[in-house]
Amino acid sequence: MTELLKVKELSKSYRQKGFWLKKKSTTVLEPISFSINAHETLAIIGETGSGKSTLAKLLVGAEPASSGNIYLNGQVLRDGSYKQRCQHIRMIFQDSGTTLNPSLTILQLLDEPLKLNTPFNEKKRKELIRTTLQKVGLLGDHMNFYPHMFSGGQKQRISLARAIILQPQVIILDEALAALDPSLRSQMINLLLDLQQQMGLAYILISHNLGIIRHFSDDILVLSQGKVVESGKTLDVMNKPQHKVTQKLLMNQNYQLKPRNL
Amino acid sequence: MNLLDIRNLSIELINENKNILAVDKVSLSMKEGEVRGLVGESGSGKSLLAQAIVGVLDDKWHVHADRFHWRGIDLLRLSIEERKALISRDIAMIFQEPMACLDPTTTINEQLSEAIDINTFTGFFWQKQQQRHSAAIKLLHKVGIKSHSNCLNSYPHQLTEALCQRVMIAIALARRPILLIADEPTAAMENTNQSQIFRLLASLNQLKNMSILLISHDLENITHWTHNITVMYSGQFVEAGTTEQIFKKPLHPYTRALVDSSPSANFHLPAKSRLMTLPGSIPILQHLPIGCRLGPRCPRAQQACVKAPSVTNFHGHKVSCHFPLTPIKPQRKVVKGVC
Repeated sequence: MTELLKVKELSKSYRQKGFWLKKKSTTVLEPISFSINAHETLAIIGETGSGKSTLAKLLVGAEPASSGNIYLNGQVLRDGSYKQRCQHIRMIFQDSGTTLNPSLTILQLLDEPLKLNTPFNEKKRKELIRTTLQKVGLLGDHMNFYPHMFSGGQKQRISLARAIILQPQVIILDEALAALDPSLRSQMINLLLDLQQQMGLAYILISHNLGIIRHFSDDILVLSQGKVVESGKTLDVMNKPQHKVTQKLLMNQNYQLKPRNL
Repeated sequence: MNLLDIRNLSIELINENKNILAVDKVSLSMKEGEVRGLVGESGSGKSLLAQAIVGVLDDKWHVHADRFHWRGIDLLRLSIEERKALISRDIAMIFQEPMACLDPTTTINEQLSEAIDINTFTGFFWQKQQQRHSAAIKLLHKVGIKSHSNCLNSYPHQLTEALCQRVMIAIALARRPILLIADEPTAAMENTNQSQIFRLLASLNQLKNMSILLISHDLENITHWTHNITVMYSGQFVEAGTTEQIFKKPLHPYTRALVDSSPSANFHLPAKSRLMTLPGSIPILQHLPIGCRLGPRCPRAQQACVKAPSVTNFHGHKVSCHFPLTPIKPQRKVVKGVC
């Protein structure tokens, strides 16, 4: 089986403007390579400024990469190939409250990606929106509501509906679970796991919560200052961290992972 | 004697049409030198409760309680000035989002030295400025900020979030409080910083014998640091007990769900299996269910749940449920309506 998403030597550096002697470039992400299969989850952890969010931005194409290639099903994704990219790689953001346009109804919100990316007529689109809303555990009639009428957990479900409506292959969760209350968070995890089984999605999970990562992911990538310091199967890395940074991250959460030897 | 003793505290939002009972008969007691966790999801009224203790709620909110004692003094009977003097001497609070709570227009130095008690200074007036400065530096050292001169001269936006939180703690410590109320001190913070802040609070508790009321929405985050935990749901008291009791043998279905829903607490669960959850979502204030507010989401709900349950005490493990998970033997002393 070939990999669903393959990243080869991807890197990002910003150039600072100035006179030609003062020109500087800061490297945010050093060349990085990894791959994901369908049905699998890759977790990315690291401190602030370690390049996690930059990596996510590069993958969805919000920013052009400085070097390297991204392959989806063996095909190269080029900068500006948005049509292909936004069909197959979707993203869910941290704060669901602010990523939904408050002046549009849910129908309009979900209709937009369909209008731009599919040849369906209006009736078909509406039908698809209805089934997608049901898939994420909302009612079809919710489509006439505005975002402010929903609670935080429901808003996150709408973001998820917006992500899966185009039948993508990869979904990037950038701290998507951090802002939720615990009981809603576990509902969301269950939903994500169900969808992964049904649709064969691959997730890229960026998170701080090691408990969720341990439960949710197959592989893990530890970033520190733009470099990959450790990678491998989640359980192996969690049980035997090799690198200092990983050990430190795990140590800091050890209290939470083992709530005193009760 | 208990440091803080609150019985059946209710907080009502005065509205034109209908008053909304945001916090419904919650009891909380704290001993000296105790770290108590107050856990509840958003909208459970935990921040309101903290604000009611400090007395910063405005006229829209009506607070009444059967007992509201601070070291034996009834706070509700005091006049506003007396209460203010007492609270500002003994209780300090750190708020969530430290960046937003510090004044962005003045330096840390001014904000910190404003909080220092003037009565601790001795000598003539020209010596006091010097003493104030050294007291501010000492406070910063106490919360673990080494480069004090850099920190004192900067504005809040120039510092990182963890540093701002430390400054907030320093300001709170300036009056040497007996009780520190920490309202989500680590919300939206990195893990490394989170554990730093918690370690700092724990050391303050041990060295200074300072009591801490630790408010959090996440049970798993604070279990390592607390002695006792009180759980609230949607403005109602759910369960209170020692951390071990809450974690190992929860009596209330809601607490059970909270413990089960955290993946890090359940090591035995195989990866990618389903987590246990409660159906539905947290009710909003305008549409609160009657009786036990967990009712519509509770797996064990029965007809009796339309009436709010009374609190049962079971070896110091208090629970408010008609059908607790481990059946409690009918004890002689079931205190009705009182914790």
